Amino acid sequence: MFSYIKKLEYPVKIANTNPALAKFIISQYGGPDGELAASLRYLSQRYSMPYPELRGLLTDIGVEELGHFEMVASIVHQLTRDMSMEEIKKAGFETYFVDHTAGIYPQFASGTPWTAATIGVKGDTITDLTEDMGAEQKARTTYDNILRMSDDPDVNNVIRFLREREVVHFQRFGEALGKTLEKLDQKNVYFMNPSFDK
Amino acid sequence: MENLKPDMKPDMGGDCGYKCGMLPMCAPLATSWVPPQGMNPPMYAPEEALTRGTLFPGLDLPFMNMVNKSNPYAGTPLGELMALTFMVKELQLYLDTHPNDKEAFKAMKDTLALKNEAWKRYVKMYGPLTVEDLEMSDKYDWLQGPWPWEYCERSAK
Repeated sequence: MFSYIKKLEYPVKIANTNPALAKFIISQYGGPDGELAASLRYLSQRYSMPYPELRGLLTDIGVEELGHFEMVASIVHQLTRDMSMEEIKKAGFETYFVDHTAGIYPQFASGTPWTAATIGVKGDTITDLTEDMGAEQKARTTYDNILRMSDDPDVNNVIRFLREREVVHFQRFGEALGKTLEKLDQKNVYFMNPSFDK
Repeated sequence: MENLKPDMKPDMGGDCGYKCGMLPMCAPLATSWVPPQGMNPPMYAPEEALTRGTLFPGLDLPFMNMVNKSNPYAGTPLGELMALTFMVKELQLYLDTHPNDKEAFKAMKDTLALKNEAWKRYVKMYGPLTVEDLEMSDKYDWLQGPWPWEYCERSAK
């Protein structure tokens, strides 16, 4: 089960209202490589994992991603909570505002609602771990792109933290895949699917 | 905690150093391999780890070398608690793939002891972080104080 801790993993303290930044940072909330996708991918994949270290790692990273989901929401909230109609129009934020006002909605930067179509749960150990490594790289690239576009030091402080977490998670998924490969037939690691063929 | 911050000069010599890991001498084709991080890797102190986003200098690979010099709660009770909690999380992920690293497990135990102290101090001053913390309250104060996404000055003191 889950229980709530009333604090963020890393502080989010943004001084200036800026809906223009919120327009694209929302993608890490509900976008194709965002934190909700990450969390649900790992927390859903763990059930078919054959080894305890894989169940543990997917659980522990999936839970951390939920914390990042909350952090990205906090960024968007603090960028938009005090915005005026003038700031909304100047930033081109009307398309979000008309549907969600200053609420936090999981969507791509392009406006598409969050969709499970962006995550994979294949039920094959090597396939799922390889997807997870790719997913961490995609999230890292998204944070790199956010850092290219954002000039707000308060926002960038948090984004740099979140970006570095993707690097660490990639390393751990890679180590988990290595441990998996070592358990398989070295002459043919694809002889069977250890998630299904017991 | 001093012993957790050994010499951090990258050693690219015979034992690879903390910036590199060891691949198997012989590995099956058509698979992805990530070099595993070596055992007992160098670690940042808790607050620096939180600010950098990793406990491990070997994994600290910033975009265009832009790094955080500090974090907004550094030096506050909440900042201290976040740093210790983050260190526990990093050690957990490391131990998930290095369960036999005794030094790292000892660091985990030491950090947990410090974190539990910092947690109690924080809750006494500012109220519950979890429903279990209400055991220390004399009234139902779960609803009081800022929520995590509402930054305000009080929460950082």
